[in-house]
Amino acid sequence: MLGLFLKKRNALTSGQKEKMVHMNSLVEMRNITKKFPGVTALSGVNFDVQPGEVHVLLGENGAGKSTLMKMLSGAYEPTEGTMVANGKEFPRFTPRISQENGISIIYQELSVIDEISIQENIFVGKLLTKKVAGISLVDNATMKQRTQEVLDEIGLKRSPGTRAGQLSIPEKQMVEIAKAVAFDAKVIIMDEPTSSLTTEEINHLFEIVDRLKKQGKGIVFISHKLDEVMAIGDRVTVLKDGQYIGTYPISEMNEDKLVTMMVGREIKGTYLQDPNRDYGDDIIFEAKDITRKDNRCRNISFQLKRGEILGFSGLVGAGRTELMEAIFGAAPMKTGEMTLLGEKLNIKCPYDALKAGIALVTENRRVTGFSPFFSIKQNLIQAKYLKESKFGGMTGLINKKMEQEVAEEQRAAMQIKCATTNQTITELSGGNQQKVILGKWMASDPKLIIFDEPTKGIDVGTKSEIYKLMRALAERGIGVLVVSSEMPELLSTCDRIVVFSDGKKNGEFTSLEATEEALVRAATT
Amino acid sequence: MSKQTQTVKPKKTFSDYWSSYSTVAILVLMLIVFSALKPSAFLSTNNFVKIIEQSSITILLACGEFFGIILGGIDLSVSSTMALSGVVCAKLMLAGWPPVLAVLVGIILFGAVVGAINGSLINLTNLPPFIITLGTQAIFRGFTYILSDARSVSGISTGFMQFVGGKLGGVVPMPIVIALIVALILIFFTTKTRAGRNIYALGGNPSSAYYAGITTKRHQLLCFVISGVCASLAGMVNIARLGSAEPNAGTGYETYAIASVIIGGASFFGGQGVVWKVVIGGLIIGVINNGLNMVGLSSYYQQIAMGALIILAVTLDRFFGASKDK
Repeated sequence: MLGLFLKKRNALTSGQKEKMVHMNSLVEMRNITKKFPGVTALSGVNFDVQPGEVHVLLGENGAGKSTLMKMLSGAYEPTEGTMVANGKEFPRFTPRISQENGISIIYQELSVIDEISIQENIFVGKLLTKKVAGISLVDNATMKQRTQEVLDEIGLKRSPGTRAGQLSIPEKQMVEIAKAVAFDAKVIIMDEPTSSLTTEEINHLFEIVDRLKKQGKGIVFISHKLDEVMAIGDRVTVLKDGQYIGTYPISEMNEDKLVTMMVGREIKGTYLQDPNRDYGDDIIFEAKDITRKDNRCRNISFQLKRGEILGFSGLVGAGRTELMEAIFGAAPMKTGEMTLLGEKLNIKCPYDALKAGIALVTENRRVTGFSPFFSIKQNLIQAKYLKESKFGGMTGLINKKMEQEVAEEQRAAMQIKCATTNQTITELSGGNQQKVILGKWMASDPKLIIFDEPTKGIDVGTKSEIYKLMRALAERGIGVLVVSSEMPELLSTCDRIVVFSDGKKNGEFTSLEATEEALVRAATT
Repeated sequence: MSKQTQTVKPKKTFSDYWSSYSTVAILVLMLIVFSALKPSAFLSTNNFVKIIEQSSITILLACGEFFGIILGGIDLSVSSTMALSGVVCAKLMLAGWPPVLAVLVGIILFGAVVGAINGSLINLTNLPPFIITLGTQAIFRGFTYILSDARSVSGISTGFMQFVGGKLGGVVPMPIVIALIVALILIFFTTKTRAGRNIYALGGNPSSAYYAGITTKRHQLLCFVISGVCASLAGMVNIARLGSAEPNAGTGYETYAIASVIIGGASFFGGQGVVWKVVIGGLIIGVINNGLNMVGLSSYYQQIAMGALIILAVTLDRFFGASKDK
């Protein structure tokens, strides 16, 4: 199979590539609509991939990019519309049609298996065999040779027998690309391929993309980093909230136009902050030059004034959550100083943070938010017990009376909807679980509360309750930091917004200055 | 308040009853079965005293093992710890130490140190407790043979033997008194103290416990210290009953301990379980061993019965307990 591919490649590189552009589409999606029960994920989207081009798919989180790609891979069936591959029309792609037409997806979460070699990764599930005395045996020699050819082609200087676990992330990504190339992919879809790469690694990836492009392959490049889009793309299709905005040649675009198309939605909802309010100089929390040991956020400094809510915007992985983990003591710092209400902090673990009066409402409720086998009551009392106990939170007895009082107090304050606080927390809805987590921290009398994606997976009604609560906390003089990927959320609740890009602070806006365009721009440049 | 709790009291389902009483039900069932099979030999005060006495070592080991399992881990080294501390205690008495001091140092303190070694290794390496205690099981056993020259150590004070191995008021075997005192302390610890509560949180979900501010390593260390002390106390009871410290004592007993905890309804994945049921679990093991003996089956069959019971208990728990967690 590979030999065939190599022959084809040679034919292409000998001068035909210019003609390849704007020949028949490799794949085409016409007027695609996808409805899930209750929501329309995509409506009226057109998308096509030409040989020898990089077609960028641009849109915010939740714009419908992955849904569209899942129809290409055959995972989803379009509700309306036509799929075309090599001139043939289909009502939908099955995974098999997708594979037969050379469509290959490289997901953000790489699927390379660490325990086996590069060549085994490339041929996993499709091992080449040879017959020896009538018995099929694995043909390692041929696989090795072919792997070597593909690796040479994309410029990965590793031997085929190298264990994948020894490779760096970008190298693993190249193994995935090699896999696509080895099986003669015509359309290679890369889902946010640069999200975990350094600038140098990105440049190398772009070289490979360029090479693949010259071989007549169609590349779909999913990203929301505008500079990259401008650098690598030939055409761009923009999606916004499932709507098809349009497909344009990159040459007619600039970053401003792209931002406007991506976020040009109306923002509805009430603003909880007063943009003209002057908070004075009463600084309750200050962070100076925080750099994590793993460098996932670097040189971060900011101040929080009394009464203010400070928001943190940026792409997933830009270092916002990472910073909060460092402040909370859940990740070690290389450098950094913190002051809370005039006292210098020395925080080595979450227990220290709790003692100092810092609370973190984590992003991932189920994994880090609550104790799953505990009742609502037991969860609510947890932080208070720990804070009041000595020796690492190990001393002290259970106090049923206090437990009951605290539970009822927080149940009322947070408006937790439950039959009794003796119910197991897992019986509650996501919104109510979040309220229990909040109640837990409130019972420990915190001075600073960090909210990381506080309304993720929470219904609209509970969302607004949580926003009001955050505002009420700020008014009481408790510091509030909010990390969120939902821009309307930040714009309607925060007095100031810090924007992160690639582990660094890349802008700070007052609520007067902040617009979605400004935030996206700071996050993507 | 009481009115409110009454109105919203959820209806109990079969799975609720099962999760509360399954262990007791198994014990009762076993007693009925053996009483029916061999009423003459099985149903006597003497035999019950014997069962209880034999069970005490299993109960002590199981109480410690519970703290390995509640973390979602395990402690495979309890049997070796039992043998090692028995030899240490016997050597101290042989060297002329008064029994009380020998017990305080050779059993309580030494057991805590051994447990702390397990806990610290797990904390330092971040390896699963299974790996670490599999290693220390062999290491502690090796030290036991070296220290004892692979011979049984005699010279245990008769006063100690008569007290620890004797009967309270001439009726109740002292070993079971010790086991029950330990169990009561641990029941108090797990249900009434904050550290106990924290351990459940840690076993149920280590990352949420960490993010809630629980000092996970300290609590983990404490669990293995408790396990070490319990195993040492089992070692003490054992040398008192035998009158000498055997270097190969307790070989394979970790299986009994783990079985007791699991039959006692504790979750192998951590975070769920109660100490009093583990005590019942230990008794069940004792009843099975004794009952099969009485019925006249060889110890080979006992092994089969034990294994089948473990699988059955956990299967039933999965089956009936499943509707509860969703």
